[in-house]
Amino acid sequence: MSAEEGRPRAGVTGEDSEALTRFLREVRHGVEAGVDPVTAAGEAVGSLPSVVRDAIETTLRRLRGEYSEDKWGFDEDFAEAVFSLFRFLYDVWWRVDVTGVRNVPAHGRGLLVANHAGSLFPFDASMMTLAVMREHPLPRWPRFMVLDWAFVLPFLSVFMRRVGGVPASPHNATALLESDELVMVFPEGIKGTGKPFSERYRLQRFGRGGFVEVALRTRSPIVPVAVVGSEEIYPKVADSPALARAIGAPFLPITPTFPLLGPLGLVPLPSKWRIEFCEPIDLSAHPPEAADDRGLVFDISEQVRETIQAKVYENLVARGGAFI
Amino acid sequence: MTGGRRVAITGVSGHWGSELAARLARDERVEYVAGIDTRPPARDLGDVDFIEADLRSALISRLLPQTEIDTLIHCGILWYPEPGKPARSLHDFNVIGTLQLLAACERTPTLNRVVMRGSAAIYGCEGASPLFFPEELAGEMPLRTRFQRDVSELEGYFENFARRHPNISGCMLRFQPEIGADLDAPLVRYFSLPAVPTQLGYDPRLQLLDADDATGALEAAVWSDVRGPVNIAPSGALSLSRILRMGGRPQIPIPHPLFGMAIERLGARLGAGPLVGDAVRLLRFGRGVDNRRMRHELGFEPRRDAVEAARELMRRLDGRRLGPALHPGALSKRLASSGR
Repeated sequence: MSAEEGRPRAGVTGEDSEALTRFLREVRHGVEAGVDPVTAAGEAVGSLPSVVRDAIETTLRRLRGEYSEDKWGFDEDFAEAVFSLFRFLYDVWWRVDVTGVRNVPAHGRGLLVANHAGSLFPFDASMMTLAVMREHPLPRWPRFMVLDWAFVLPFLSVFMRRVGGVPASPHNATALLESDELVMVFPEGIKGTGKPFSERYRLQRFGRGGFVEVALRTRSPIVPVAVVGSEEIYPKVADSPALARAIGAPFLPITPTFPLLGPLGLVPLPSKWRIEFCEPIDLSAHPPEAADDRGLVFDISEQVRETIQAKVYENLVARGGAFI
Repeated sequence: MTGGRRVAITGVSGHWGSELAARLARDERVEYVAGIDTRPPARDLGDVDFIEADLRSALISRLLPQTEIDTLIHCGILWYPEPGKPARSLHDFNVIGTLQLLAACERTPTLNRVVMRGSAAIYGCEGASPLFFPEELAGEMPLRTRFQRDVSELEGYFENFARRHPNISGCMLRFQPEIGADLDAPLVRYFSLPAVPTQLGYDPRLQLLDADDATGALEAAVWSDVRGPVNIAPSGALSLSRILRMGGRPQIPIPHPLFGMAIERLGARLGAGPLVGDAVRLLRFGRGVDNRRMRHELGFEPRRDAVEAARELMRRLDGRRLGPALHPGALSKRLASSGR
C-alpha cells in the first residue's frame, strides 16, 4: 500500500558527495593546522549531509551504551533497522494487504490474537508488526509472545528480545498489558505452525484459553486478527521427529525445498498475504475475577477462534490465487 | 537513650554486616548493637559489641539469648568467599549456620523481628522465564547451581521458623547482585577487566543493585514490619552489552561451555578471580525481579535504577582500567566532547 511514506532514502546524490568533499577538506585543514585527526573529524562533522550525520550519531550513541532499550529488553533502534529489511518482504515479496488496522487501539493496552502458521520460521508476528507500524495512523510497536525454546538458543534469543519478543507465559503477558503495551499472542502455538500443509487455514485448538484469562484480569480488549498467506511460505509436507529430538526442537519441518536445497530452502515462497484486524471484543463489562470462570473463558476463547476462522476463509476467497 | 532497639547482626565482618552495623550504631533509636562473626571487623564500627562466634556451632544458642536482643539481622549468608571463609565451606556457612542461628532464635524470648539477607538466586536463571519475577514465583524454575539450591533450602527453614513463631515478624530479603566501585565482589572485578569475556550469542538482561541502596534496603527492613519474602532490586533492567559499552570495554565472546574456564584463567592473571554462585548462568540468561513489594510495602525507594547503577559503576571503574581504551566508545566520547 503506502510504500512511499517513511523516511527519506539514504543514497548518495550529487549534493551529498559535494558535502562529503567539503567534509574531507575541512578535516585536512584541521590536520594541517596541527589538530589531531579525530578532533578535526569531530569539528568537521557539521558539514556532512544530515542523513550521514544521523547515522554516525546513532552509531556513536550506541557505542557509548546509550541505547533506546527498555526494561523488557526491546531495543527500538535495533527493531527499526531489522524491520526496514523486512519491508522488502512486506511490499514486494508478499505484497501484504491490510484491512481494519484502525481496530488496533491507538493507545492503552490491547491483546492482538492471531492464527499462527509458517512452519520453518513464522513471519506472521513480524508482518503484523509492520502492518501496525506502517498503516496505523498512530503507529506503535507491538510486543509478541515467543515459544520458550527460542529464548534458550544463542543469538536467536537476543534477536527476539530486541525486536519486542518475550517468552510466552501468562505472567509476562499480564505484566506487559499492565504497563499499557500492545501484545500479540498466537494461542495455537506449536500446533499451528507444525500442522501439515494439507490442513492449512484450519485453526487448531486454542490451548486452555490462557490469553482470555489474561485479558479479563487486565481488562484489555481482544482484537482478533486473521492472517492469510503465511501458510504457503514454507509448505510442510513431512517432518522429522528424530532430527527434531536431536537438536531439541519441538518439530523439524520438511518442505519441498528444505532441507533439499540447503540454505536456499530457507527462502520463503512468495505467496500473497492479507491481514485483517477485526472488531475489538470489549471485556470491560466483566470484573477481573471473571478470569476464574472456566465456562466464560472457554466461551470467549471459542468466540475469538470462530471469528478468526471465519475471517480467514473470507480473506482466502478475497485473495484468490495463492501466489499471484 | 533507653528503651531503644537492641539489635544483633551476624556476618558483621563482611561488607554488608559492617555497613549496617556502622549505620545502626549511629542511630539514636538503637540502644545496643551486637556484631557476631568468626573474626573481628577490619574497620572501627563505632559502638558495636563484637561477639566472636561461629554460627555453625551450637554455642550460638547459648550466646544469643544473653544479649536480650529484639531484632536480629542475618547477614551471614555468603554469595562468594571472604577472608577466612573459603569457597568449599560456603554451603556449611549458609545452610548449617542459618539452621543453628534459627535454633538460637527459638531460645531468645525477647526477639520480635528477624531480617534475613537472602538472594534472588532462588528464582534460578533460565532463558525463558518471567521477565520480572514477583515474590510468589519462587520455585517455578529449576535450580541448577549449589548456591541456588542452598538459598532455596534455607528459605524453607526460615518459612518453617516463621510459621512456628507468629509473634516474631520474619522477613526474607531477596537481593539481586550488588555492584559498587568500592565493593570487592567477583562481579565487580569482572566488570573491571580491561576486556571482558562474554558468552557467545547471549546478552543477558541484568538488574544490578547499587551497593548504597542495598544497605539502605537492609536498614529499611529493620524498621519495617513487613513479613515474608521481599525482592530487593533496582527498577528497570539493561543488557550486559550496554553496561560494557558504557565503560568502553571491548567484549571477548567465548562459546558458553568454555566461559567458566576462560574467566578463571583470565581472572587468575588479572586478579579478577573466578565467578561463583550462579554468576556464570546469570551472565548467560540474566534475571529480573519485580520490586513493587519493596517500594510499596517496605517503603524503600532505591536512589539509582538499574541503568543509573550500572553507569555509576562503569564511570567509577573507568579510572581503574588496566589497559588502554580499545573500544570505539572512547573515540565517540572525544567526538562528542569536541563540540559539535
